[in-house]
Amino acid sequence: MKISTIAMACLALLPALSAQELKLPANLEKLGDRAREVVDVTLDGPLLQLAARFLSDKDPDEARAKKLVSGLKGIYVRSFTFDNRGEYDPADLEPLRAQLKSPGWSRIVGVRSRRDDNAEVYIKSEGDKIAGLAVIAAEPKELTVVQIVGPIQPEDLRDLGGRFGIPKVDLGKKNAKED
Amino acid sequence: MMDDLERQLGDALGRKEPSAGFEHRVLAAVERSKKRPWFSPRFQWAAAIAASLVMIAGVVRYREAEERAAGEAAKLKLELALKITSEKLQKIQDRVNQGNQE
Repeated sequence: MKISTIAMACLALLPALSAQELKLPANLEKLGDRAREVVDVTLDGPLLQLAARFLSDKDPDEARAKKLVSGLKGIYVRSFTFDNRGEYDPADLEPLRAQLKSPGWSRIVGVRSRRDDNAEVYIKSEGDKIAGLAVIAAEPKELTVVQIVGPIQPEDLRDLGGRFGIPKVDLGKKNAKED
Repeated sequence: MMDDLERQLGDALGRKEPSAGFEHRVLAAVERSKKRPWFSPRFQWAAAIAASLVMIAGVVRYREAEERAAGEAAKLKLELALKITSEKLQKIQDRVNQGNQE
């Protein structure tokens, strides 16, 4: 087998290694050094399905969560909590936003306030289906980036209301700015 | 009556010579027991199979315990991820609702 064939096979396998589509910029990765608290949850396909297997079928809430998760390919959460304001530069998020401008992604909610609370919700569409969800919540002392890969409906999240302390959410096709 | 009882006791407790070849039979039995392995090949197989089964059961149980621990840890991670996501989404929704009301 030629080396080029092996190399091509390796390249073809690369995307299968991780479902994560958004790459957290290096400057955001470094925020962990300054943060008081860092939450880093990476649930790729097999681990996610393992977690789903441990959700009960008998408990209606867990069963709903299990159904929601069963179709997903990955859940990635990175959250930094700081002691003081201004520990991160909002411009550090630009590389992430640039990735979310790629085809398929669209911003469904954007909130900006005078208190420097900025939040955005993006969805990835494949045809008429939602194939992913991304949330960027930038608060003065907290920065959270969430990516959910796989078919997910905002209604699914709403149906999880009450479970795991999850409130009911209703993400309509609103796009509001609070200035 | 006492004489009869004494005679019976005498018969019962009196010395009796072993039957012919008794000594030879005992020595032969001792010799046989020395030569024979303490368990038969069939028993060896059964013991080996039983030991293998115990080992397999141990490995399976260990794997199950390991998988259960990994599963519970993954479930906790999933709960945390869903909690954070939902909290953020709820906050965003509240802000959107506030914005719409103003």
